[in-house]
Amino acid sequence: MSSTTESPRHVEPMDDQEAGEWAVYFDDRPPEDLLEWAFQRYHPRLAIVTSFQVDTLVLLDMAWRIQPQVRVITVDTGRLPQETYDLMEEVQQRYGIALEVLFPDTRQVEAMVRKHGINLFRTSVPLRLLCCHVRKVVPLQRALQQLDAWITGLRRDQWATRANIRKVEIDHDHGGILKLNPLADWTEEEVWHYAREQNVPIHKLYAHGYKSIGCAPCTRPVQPGEDSRSGRWWWEVNAPKECGMHCPIETGGFEHEVQAILGNATDLTLGNGK
Amino acid sequence: MSHEIEQGQSQASSAARTSRPERPVTWDEVRKRNFVERIKHERFPYELEQDWQRLAATPYEAIPEEDMLRLQWFGLYHDKPKVGFMMMRIKLPNGLLSPAKLRAIGEISRTFGRSYGEITTRQDIQLHWIRISDLPQIMDRLRAAGLSTKGGCGDVLRNITGCPVAGVSREELFDTTPVVLEAHRLFSGNPHYSNLPRKHKWSISACPYHCNAPEIHDVALVGTVQDGAPGFAVWVGGGLSTVPRIAKSLGVFVPMAEALDVPRAILEIWSSDLKYRMSRAKARFKFMVDDYGPEQIREKIEHHLGRKLSDLKTNPRPIGRTDHMGVHPQKQPGKVYIGVPVFPGILEADQMLALADLAEELGADIRLTREQNLILAHVPQERADEARARLRDQARLDGQVNPIRGHSIGCTGEPHCNFSVGETKHKLVEVVDHLEQQFGSAIADLRLYLDGCPHACGQHWVGDIGIQGTTLSTPQGKTEAYDVLLRGGLGLSAAIGKAVLRRIPSSELKYVLERLVRAWLDNRAPNEPIQSFFNRLTDERIQEIARGQNGSAVAPQASG
Repeated sequence: MSSTTESPRHVEPMDDQEAGEWAVYFDDRPPEDLLEWAFQRYHPRLAIVTSFQVDTLVLLDMAWRIQPQVRVITVDTGRLPQETYDLMEEVQQRYGIALEVLFPDTRQVEAMVRKHGINLFRTSVPLRLLCCHVRKVVPLQRALQQLDAWITGLRRDQWATRANIRKVEIDHDHGGILKLNPLADWTEEEVWHYAREQNVPIHKLYAHGYKSIGCAPCTRPVQPGEDSRSGRWWWEVNAPKECGMHCPIETGGFEHEVQAILGNATDLTLGNGK
Repeated sequence: MSHEIEQGQSQASSAARTSRPERPVTWDEVRKRNFVERIKHERFPYELEQDWQRLAATPYEAIPEEDMLRLQWFGLYHDKPKVGFMMMRIKLPNGLLSPAKLRAIGEISRTFGRSYGEITTRQDIQLHWIRISDLPQIMDRLRAAGLSTKGGCGDVLRNITGCPVAGVSREELFDTTPVVLEAHRLFSGNPHYSNLPRKHKWSISACPYHCNAPEIHDVALVGTVQDGAPGFAVWVGGGLSTVPRIAKSLGVFVPMAEALDVPRAILEIWSSDLKYRMSRAKARFKFMVDDYGPEQIREKIEHHLGRKLSDLKTNPRPIGRTDHMGVHPQKQPGKVYIGVPVFPGILEADQMLALADLAEELGADIRLTREQNLILAHVPQERADEARARLRDQARLDGQVNPIRGHSIGCTGEPHCNFSVGETKHKLVEVVDHLEQQFGSAIADLRLYLDGCPHACGQHWVGDIGIQGTTLSTPQGKTEAYDVLLRGGLGLSAAIGKAVLRRIPSSELKYVLERLVRAWLDNRAPNEPIQSFFNRLTDERIQEIARGQNGSAVAPQASG
């Protein structure tokens, strides 16, 4: 990571009440207002966390116009489609930024694969959750520990459990840092409209019918008329509700499910890896 | 804060922006932006009522996520993890239960749940571990017992709360039970009032202590007597969650006979204004009160009703605070009510059944309290001692415990709640055990309200000490932690507490609280409440105390 991550906290993290009032203030204001406020207060201990869905790229485009040194963090899980790596290069060239690419802990991945197989995610729901946890969530948690605030692409129109999200929240799942959801009140249509107008780099797999971008073996195109939920982990039976598409690390939902279903089992790979 | 927001405003106007067309406030736009409004529109949740058999026969895998959301309208909420076990909230207006109803709940929890239930801050009972496949049988049993879960969760009028000793208290101004029950009959589960912009909470009481916390309700009818006539002041716009508000008085007096006209008008005005459906973050009625202020809200109500409302001469103030625990003579001669702490708000099935038997034999009824306790009412005075002994021996409910156990609150939290980030009820027990060992009866009047997340089901914003779960990042990873709020309160000094201490590691919480309580007990003016003690200390001083850096003693004299 760049040396900027070493900079001290320059803002004492706000509490829920203050965050709640700011959320009301920004609720019907444009995303750029919130981004500008956030950069003034939190840069460089502020970052966009992206898996290269269109939403966070639109946010990157907006943020870059306000602060060309915007930090962008992503995780290379080791199972990403080539199109994602191509897009990483395109984004770096377009905005002149150095993406901060995080990788999973090799010992954890090795221990997990040794114990459960290379394609463990097809075996059972708990093992798929373990794979997500080790390859994606742990590295992201590590990144968030270095931040005072992070920016997500969550939108209320994506799912019922996201209908209540606020634009400014305290992220109690991640050390009480600030979580900003500037596109909360945008629709999918508006996001795509902005992306086209501003010629934002777009992941190539969208053109092939993908509704969400993730690891190669776990995402696929959605056929016309099909539920977008069929684009992720379509083989699973008895998976937790909403965890197919709607409880990523951004909402905290994933970690709650993992903790409830796997408990301390996530630590096993640590012990075995040593 | 407000100054900063004004600065934010000037920044916003000066910066270049991508243009965004003005959003029309129409149903189309609402449904485009608000997922829950879309789901309600596609199929209104109450229609699931015709579908219990089909739902029960459907494998969990095949039940659409949309229907899981609609089940909220029947008081059913997914527990964690979301693999098919539900929390079921049974609505009990004013917290009133007959022995037969409590027995039915105990039996349902034993047959279909895991033999326990929780008393909630809205005077409901919640069961966990409920399977959708059992719903037809459960709903039949509830109906047969005269119970309902309809409107327990979702965008509806939630359980109407009140003073648990309404109708029996010698101190109450008048009995509000008929008003609560009439409101429940008219509005609860009524489809016409069950597609609100968001949840909506009423409390109706004439308790002179305001034990029902009217100041944190969307709408509270606060009993008063004006010119000899019993009636209500109307307080509006209170609520907690992440944007807490203390309710404001509309300045009107509503006579008994017209008591429900104003709340009904509010429901109609608020739920027909699409502005409050565009964003669920600003959908609660309190935001409408923020936008218009109580004077304009009053004008809107008067316009809606087509008549002027009477002015309120004196805003009712509580005479103190109480949790109605202990033995008290009733207004009915020869009868007493007995309040017992149920700490931390969990009743096992065998306790429910024993209570039902005991109450039945005594000719008593059962009332649940906001602070998650239980009251037996209409106990014959001469059997009061016997009743207390049997409560202790047969239902394991001991009235002799330190009163702090009666008026401390812990939310559902771990392991069930999808929002909580830490231990709640168990943590509360740990903390109270510790404080009791240190301070004994000196902390009898203290109210600890503990929540696992900012949603504040456990009302942490207004406890003497509020405690809210969060996490703390350490080099070893994230650990459970708690924010500690001080200066909050209800009643005469109603105020939203401030998180003066942030992210205290879970293992240190009880020691931090011990230092705070010790500083208060050692340095307060005679009988000075904890709220006013911490009001006269700076945040920095309180943080020093919490760290154990006592330095110079805190002056007992209030500094103004």
